[in-house]
Amino acid sequence: MTSTSTPSLLPGTSRTLAASVRGLSKTYGDGDTAVHALRSVDLDLAPGRFTAVMGPSGSGKSTLMHCMAGLDRPTEGSVTIAGVDLTTLDDDRLTHFRRDHLGFVFQAFNLLPMLTARQNILLPFELTGRRMEDGTAERIEQVIDVLGLRDRLDHRPGELSGGQQQRVAIARALAADADVVFADEPTGNLDSTASAEVLAFLRRSVAEFGHTVVMVTHEMDAAAYADDVVVLADGGIREHLVAPSRARVAQALEGGAR
Amino acid sequence: MRTVLFASLRTHTRRYVAALVAVTIAVAFVVVIDALGSGARNAIAASVESAYPEADLIVGEEFGLAESDPVRVLEVAAQRGDEASVIATAWTRVDGPDGTLGDDVEVGTVATDPGLRSTNVVTGRGPIADDQALVSRETAASAGIELGDRLTVGTGQATRTVTVVGLTERSSYLSPDVHLTWPALSALDSEIVDSVAYAVREGSVAEAREALTEVVESQVQLRDDYVSARIVSMNKGVDVLGYLLLLFAAIAGFVAVLVIANTFTILFAQRTRDFALLRCVGATRRQVLRSVRVESVALALVAATTGVVGGLLASRALGVLARALAGSDSFGDIDHSPGWLGAAFVGGVVTTVVAAWLPTRAVVRVSPLAALRPAQEPSARTTAGRVRLALGLLGAAAGLAALVLAHRTETVPLMLAGGMVSFVGVLLLGPVIVPALLRLVGATAGRFSGPVRVASANAVRNPRRSAATTASLLVGVTLATAVLTGMASGRQSVEAEMNAEYPVDLALSGTSQVSPTTVAKVRGLDGVAAVLTPPGTRVETDGPTLTVVAPSDAERERTLDASVTRVGDDEIVFPASYVASFEEEGVPDRVTVRTAAGPLTLTVRTVFASWGSAAVVSPETLDRLTPAGTTRVLWVMADDGADAQDLAGTLGAVAGGADLEVTDNLEDQQWVSLQLDVLVWSVLGLLGVGVAIALVGIANTVGLSILERSREHALLRALGLTRKGLRHTLAAEGMLLALVAAVLGTALGTLYAWFGVVTVVQSAFPAAALVVPWAQLAAVLVVAALAGLASCVLPARRAARIMPAAGLTLD
Ligand SMILES: Nc1ncnc2c1ncn2[C@@H]1O[C@H](COP(=O)(O)OP(=O)(O)OP(=O)(O)O)[C@@H](O)[C@H]1O
Ligand SMILES: [Mg+2]
Repeated sequence: MTSTSTPSLLPGTSRTLAASVRGLSKTYGDGDTAVHALRSVDLDLAPGRFTAVMGPSGSGKSTLMHCMAGLDRPTEGSVTIAGVDLTTLDDDRLTHFRRDHLGFVFQAFNLLPMLTARQNILLPFELTGRRMEDGTAERIEQVIDVLGLRDRLDHRPGELSGGQQQRVAIARALAADADVVFADEPTGNLDSTASAEVLAFLRRSVAEFGHTVVMVTHEMDAAAYADDVVVLADGGIREHLVAPSRARVAQALEGGAR
Repeated sequence: MRTVLFASLRTHTRRYVAALVAVTIAVAFVVVIDALGSGARNAIAASVESAYPEADLIVGEEFGLAESDPVRVLEVAAQRGDEASVIATAWTRVDGPDGTLGDDVEVGTVATDPGLRSTNVVTGRGPIADDQALVSRETAASAGIELGDRLTVGTGQATRTVTVVGLTERSSYLSPDVHLTWPALSALDSEIVDSVAYAVREGSVAEAREALTEVVESQVQLRDDYVSARIVSMNKGVDVLGYLLLLFAAIAGFVAVLVIANTFTILFAQRTRDFALLRCVGATRRQVLRSVRVESVALALVAATTGVVGGLLASRALGVLARALAGSDSFGDIDHSPGWLGAAFVGGVVTTVVAAWLPTRAVVRVSPLAALRPAQEPSARTTAGRVRLALGLLGAAAGLAALVLAHRTETVPLMLAGGMVSFVGVLLLGPVIVPALLRLVGATAGRFSGPVRVASANAVRNPRRSAATTASLLVGVTLATAVLTGMASGRQSVEAEMNAEYPVDLALSGTSQVSPTTVAKVRGLDGVAAVLTPPGTRVETDGPTLTVVAPSDAERERTLDASVTRVGDDEIVFPASYVASFEEEGVPDRVTVRTAAGPLTLTVRTVFASWGSAAVVSPETLDRLTPAGTTRVLWVMADDGADAQDLAGTLGAVAGGADLEVTDNLEDQQWVSLQLDVLVWSVLGLLGVGVAIALVGIANTVGLSILERSREHALLRALGLTRKGLRHTLAAEGMLLALVAAVLGTALGTLYAWFGVVTVVQSAFPAAALVVPWAQLAAVLVVAALAGLASCVLPARRAARIMPAAGLTLD
């Protein structure tokens, strides 16, 4: 881990914090059967950094990510991204916010099966229904080249390998120039070579495009690509490590196993 | 396997709702048909029962009886000291104190003996003399007749005057408007005898029966035997109607089969992984198959039960409604025949199980490996798909050939067979035709809207499923279009015929000259658009004295009748409404008329038309008959939408004062047109049941596809599609499917209507041509599209409510 320096920020994204979470709780069900997936979580993420979220299965990683990304409503607490408190937005505003500011890469089912790779990449623009701003088209072409997707653009997801599908999903997140990109186990279905490729691209998007990336992962190797590591246990944050060593992360995780 | 079966029935109940609803509607429809039939039958039974008095014997056949029989029965009754009463009806002209009641008022008999009277007198008393009459309460109310008023009954020499002494209540199918005694009615010379009721006063019934059988030609039956035989024969009409209605039930059933088969196909496709997993953990093919078959039987039993129960409830409600609308004398109590109920139940079960059979077979083909592979997008490029397409092409081509051949040879059964075969062919070709149309419609509409673009991409994803979904609606729309277009074409032919037959709406004619004040009065009446007064005169002939008129060219134009327009100088044209003036001797080939310049012989032409009591000659002929023509006939053109009865009434009042006779063509025309309307609307209403099932099917397919795609929807929502956007996309998908079914259906329906017109209608009306009712067809399109939209509102709302996070973790 060498990246302790903050990468240069793109104009317009310069804020003190990329994302800020206060007192975030999520409870499923109620009464005796209530499951506390998150218990009053506080978390601050600096802009232009690649953060890995780790922790044992069922610790609330996906739940935290869904709430932070405005895909689900927390039971309590607030989530502020790009200066906007997501919990105060109604569904339409929240949807527009996601469209304009956030990007997603999931473990699987990232792409619409009836659309080609290019159509999938352009989907956020299609949904906006607006014309692309100047420079967007060039950035998209650049992203496509960087991700090595040029000769696969007219294929449908069914005709792409798992790694290629994930690359298309990353291309979509980067093409829309998201403030924060959320990735839930993006390499969970990939072999080590494909994983390495995908992680390298996420890393590059932070370095070259100045994005902020939050990635949920189980794998130590994947976490090694991140700047910071947040370790969750039992619905709470056990540790928030800045540029930790591999051994430090392993130690934090084991703490949960004790 | 039992735990799996119960768990899956529990989990999937919701998804079976549509199939359940489809079967329920079809089964309930059958139950309702039986119930409505029983209502009509019971009303007939009650009405026949009350038409015949409590006599001992009845002399009569199913229809009428020998002419000399009534007199003979009356003679026997007089000899033996018994009572007999002739039941007869005549249709003749009746005039009241405030004008005419009409040209063919139903006049019936009433028994003078109270013991043989079936008529229910509510005010006044039964007639005791031949110059007295009873009038039904309804007729009295509408014509303003009161007790003591005098009526003139009959025409010509048979006319007689009677005094109203009582009012009656309608209670049977033989309830006439005016009742006379048998001697009075038979004096009209136009009576039709139904039967003679006979009450034995002296001796035994058997003796009387023997005595009667000896002298009459018709059958002599015990009263109860006769009545039940009559009820049976009258019910035949209802039964025929019942079977016709079953045809519509069959259509509804067919649509239900499509919906059920489609539902099962989709459900099983969605559960392929479950099945494969079961196979992986060791379930045999047979076990898996049995579990899904048991599922379909369970569904069938539940659906047939709800159908029967729903049908029973709907029958009650409709029975009350029908009695309120039609009156309890034309709709009686309803009851259900156990056989019919059983058939409906068994039919529902069998239909469901059969419809589920093919899809369940696909389940067997699932290999355990399918559990491990990602779900595949289906394609039509399988062997089965190709066989299906080949069959479809064959069916469409063979059906079309049969239709063409049927047109050449004017064979209706061949036409029907061709229509069915070609339609099945089109249904089989659906997976090719429907996606192509979806793309076309989607591309056109998608240019204006993003959601429609996504929707059309979604709709073509599974060609076979889209085809199956549209198929059910296609059946309804095709039939509706064929009916609408066929009826519009037939109606035009009928109307052309009616325009020839009824060149004027109403005519006033008399034997003397019509005064200008009368003409002005008629012109000023409400509902009168124009009055033509062709010049005419009275002429002496070698036969009767005739009224002749000579319409000018302009007047002939207005009367729309080619046969009147071309009247030669040596011709005289009689409408069928005026040939009665020749009475016994019949219409001669020529008539010789007296003119100032000596006799003139004219060739007689009779046309099947009605324009009052006047013959038409050319203006030149009229000049030779009289130096100055005068007004003899008023030809009245009514306003569009004028009420025929009102107009006839007000004209009748004017005519009565001026000693003119009214010929009412408008009422006949409006009646025919009303019958056609009733026919079209009944057929459409009955097809509506099938269409309703089809819409349930569309809602179902879209609903199930939505479930299947909840991950995609979550993804779209995550990427920034708003709730409204998602709802619109899904609604657009349902609307596209419905619209494509409607477009294809209207095209096919119009084609079938054309074959119907050239094969059936042209054999009756050679000049018939296809008339496309554009407005109605547009309405069909709009209704289908809106219904498709409406049927998707609920599933779309449900889908849009789910939070993206929840959708992403759904399986
Ligand atoms: N819809 C739900 N209803 C009830 N409980 C839920 C629901 N979703 C998640 N949970 C519970 O919340 C807790 C956190 O779940 P979450 O999916 O966030 O875990 P995770 O850390 O992502 O686990 P994994 O590493 O296995 O993906 C778990 O105990 C889970 O059972
Ligand atoms: Mg998770």
